[in-house]
Amino acid sequence: MLSYMIRRILLLPIILIGVTFLIFSVFSLLSPMERLATYVRDPNTLKNPKAAERLIAKYHLDEPYPLGYINWLERMAHFDLGWSQTANQSVSDAIKQRFPVTLELVLYSIIPVVLIGIWLGVISAVHHNDMIDQAIRVTAIIGWSLPSFIFGLLILFIFYGMLGWFPPGRLSSWAQDIVYTGNFVSYTHLITIDALLNGNIPIFLDALRHLIAPIITLSYISWAFLLRITRSSMLDTLRKDYIRTARAKGVDEQTVIHLHAKRNALIPVATIAGMMIIGMMGGVMITETVFTYPGLGFWAAQSAQQLDYGTVISFALLFSTIMVIGNLVVDLSYALIDPRVRLE
Amino acid sequence: MNRILKKLFSNVTSLVGIILLAFFIVIAVFAPVITPPLSDDHYQIPRMSWDVNPQPPGSPMSDNMKQAYEFMEKEVKWKKAICGTAEGGYDIFYGLIWGTRTAFKIGIITVTISMLIGIILGSISAYFGGWIDEVLMRITDIFLSFPFLVAAMVLTTVLGRGLDKVMIALISFGWMGYARLIRGSILSTKEETYVMAAKALGVNDTKIIWKHLLPNTIFPVMVQGSMNIGSMVIMAAALSFLGVGAPVGYADWGQMVSFARNWIIGSPGNAGQYWYAVFYPGIFIVLFVLSWNLIGDTLRDILDPRLRGEL
Amino acid sequence: MKNNKKILLEIKDLKTYFFTEEGVVKAVDGVDFKVYEGETLGIVGESGCGKSVTAFSIMRLLDYPGKTIGGEIIFKEKDILKKSETEMRHIRGKEIAMIFQEPMTALNPVLTIGFQISESLRMHFNLNKEEASKKAIKLLTKVGIPVPEQRVNEYPHQLSGGMRQRAMIAMALSCDPNLLIADEPTTALDVTIQAQILELMKSLLRDFNGSLIMITHDLGVIAEIADRIAVMYAGKIVEYADKKTIFKNPSHPYTFGLLTSIPRLDMEMKRLNVIPGIVPNPLHFPEGCKFNTRCKFATEKCREKEPDLTALTEEHLVRCWHVDKVIQEAKKIF
Repeated sequence: MLSYMIRRILLLPIILIGVTFLIFSVFSLLSPMERLATYVRDPNTLKNPKAAERLIAKYHLDEPYPLGYINWLERMAHFDLGWSQTANQSVSDAIKQRFPVTLELVLYSIIPVVLIGIWLGVISAVHHNDMIDQAIRVTAIIGWSLPSFIFGLLILFIFYGMLGWFPPGRLSSWAQDIVYTGNFVSYTHLITIDALLNGNIPIFLDALRHLIAPIITLSYISWAFLLRITRSSMLDTLRKDYIRTARAKGVDEQTVIHLHAKRNALIPVATIAGMMIIGMMGGVMITETVFTYPGLGFWAAQSAQQLDYGTVISFALLFSTIMVIGNLVVDLSYALIDPRVRLE
Repeated sequence: MNRILKKLFSNVTSLVGIILLAFFIVIAVFAPVITPPLSDDHYQIPRMSWDVNPQPPGSPMSDNMKQAYEFMEKEVKWKKAICGTAEGGYDIFYGLIWGTRTAFKIGIITVTISMLIGIILGSISAYFGGWIDEVLMRITDIFLSFPFLVAAMVLTTVLGRGLDKVMIALISFGWMGYARLIRGSILSTKEETYVMAAKALGVNDTKIIWKHLLPNTIFPVMVQGSMNIGSMVIMAAALSFLGVGAPVGYADWGQMVSFARNWIIGSPGNAGQYWYAVFYPGIFIVLFVLSWNLIGDTLRDILDPRLRGEL
Repeated sequence: MKNNKKILLEIKDLKTYFFTEEGVVKAVDGVDFKVYEGETLGIVGESGCGKSVTAFSIMRLLDYPGKTIGGEIIFKEKDILKKSETEMRHIRGKEIAMIFQEPMTALNPVLTIGFQISESLRMHFNLNKEEASKKAIKLLTKVGIPVPEQRVNEYPHQLSGGMRQRAMIAMALSCDPNLLIADEPTTALDVTIQAQILELMKSLLRDFNGSLIMITHDLGVIAEIADRIAVMYAGKIVEYADKKTIFKNPSHPYTFGLLTSIPRLDMEMKRLNVIPGIVPNPLHFPEGCKFNTRCKFATEKCREKEPDLTALTEEHLVRCWHVDKVIQEAKKIF
């Protein structure tokens, strides 16, 4: 197992190089002028051909491929990611500002995904082919078929349009005033936590109120998928010989299911769940757009619409790096859960 | 094969799926008859008026529009917008009918091509092994490092709007699953005795892959592919929703929903005012994808030997 | 052999059928035998004859689509088939225990050996973790596993095949059950390990004074360990007697065929016998006596009517129309 871990860690830089190279190649499909636009604050400066030429040389945009790549990579490594027209800030500043917003949303969404998906998956498998199983499966299939943006719009319509309970956005304007200008200390930039740390319950509740609809939307496709995988894995496990052994010992059915079976069944599920959580980054774009939640996803979607290339490329870089490292962590943690791998 | 078909038809879930799918096939085939196109670009949704606000179902064509069509010497076969109009006066009904063709196009083309790419790369990788396998698998890993929607979005931004660009984006990041699937299958089949026998007889590699390995391993990949048709359509719709997919006025369900964000809340006091703008395209997307998923889910259960009650 | 031992388990006309899509499989179709206290009953037969299903029926652990639809299983003078699931759970592991064929797959890979052994103790006797763990270590010593204090915290994959089977035996015997059912416990092991495990089982039997049902297709194993033998074919018992009788005085053609198909040191044999044909498809059993298609003594009567289990002596039952012919043949050889 150790050799496997070492191999995975050694492969990491290679994968990262491959990923960055791919991104750079896509970036290079744009003309030098378009690429230049990602670095300047005011697009009017480019109208001056002399200035444009100078800048092109400065950013190595007309150089042959490999050199251009290395240069670009260097720049990225120093977090010089260019200027975002949509955000009207440098890309790195915009990321810093919006990252905690998305993080808060994702962290809270993990809870329903894992709890509901796995819990229902186990129930579904235990009641295999019962009415309960069929009902759960149909719900899951519908969940599978309902695109997240339509589901999100539906939630928005019902819970905001009709009922007025969960408004879009991150905070109501009165709360925003306090958080951004008043006596509010932002320790973590996760508003719910900060509100509790500041002892401000009304803001905590307001933030929560704005989070519920996006959380429901973001988690929903994920838990439907997780449910199917858990169900499948449990069905497999319940057929194994050691389950029969446990029953032959007189172990009660609850313990058989939740101790003997579940622990085995959840091993493959855990790694997939990990990868899915990382994959939620894709879903974040849609959810934040539907609820105008001012995080990374919303900004990314906007910049794509407005052809703000710099932002889009930086986004690709950011998310793919998170994904690569995240996948590695998930892979390595597999070793911790499964004693057969751990003790080889 | 016959047993599988029989089972598909007898199971309630898949039967519903098949009926739905048949419904869509009929619409797609008879699109030019149901809603004859007005221009050479069949997928350009005709407008019923210049209104920015969506108009409710049953709205007649506006007078300026009628005059405009007369001026362009175009003959319009219908007088009312049966399902209403979307933002900008685009006829929703037309979009639904021709959008069916778009959906099939997207689903079938992207899945077929990405499956082809995946199968070729996966089988080469598995069969030859060694450093070829290593390199191809690392490339697959690299492509897998991008969240699908993010990657597709980046590509469509750089390449521009348009359905073909959307399909390129979907294909570029959709082949990896098939590659891995068939690689796994071939790796296990490769060690079977009949393959070794063929090799010992000196049969050349391509023939072995073609005649012995592929026919035995390709079936689960194809099943997976047919189940992915639905998700490809959803992805394309999501891209349109985010504003980077099909251009405005194109007969694509996702594109029609993309305006919906603005109109879903309706006007104050009348929350459901513009329900039709979202409902119609939305329900078509859901039912289309549902039909594939119902069939696919049942197919998976049928092909799973454990669940057949075998001893 | 006159008997004044108590009967621990008595099976009467047990029927367990599997209701599959392709038809009804009569896996166990009228099985009768007795297990006396302190004795070992060997159930012998080819694969697919219903031996394992009989064991699962006793434990009431049948998988879908199997169901016990008739007969009685009288354990300690009560019919198990009439008990509730809750009552069964108190019997399983505590009064009747079972060990299985494949020790690797029969042990839970993510739980330690110690946990799995002490589980029954904690459950049936309410021992706490400490006490159960200590007892588990003692049990491991008893089954001959070295360094038990260390093994107790290890996982199944860290043990060899033979050790895993010993651990299974320890697990089964942890609550001092009255009856142990062993379903082909040595089949999946190397021959040398097989011998060790059999020795272990014999010595443990002397110690724990319970009864054993040993299920196997291997006559050698039966000869080593059984006191009484029941021969099974196509879901029915075809002969039931004590060991000596079976080996010296077989009275059923199938038993006769089995015995003459293995080489023996105690008599002269020129050629090994082969029982022609194969075990019939359980969905399409032949009419009349199920063995008639492969039997060299078969007559028209055998093809028409199935013989009942008749008593040649009080402790020797046979299911055959032509017992006399078989005995004659046997006398020539044995």
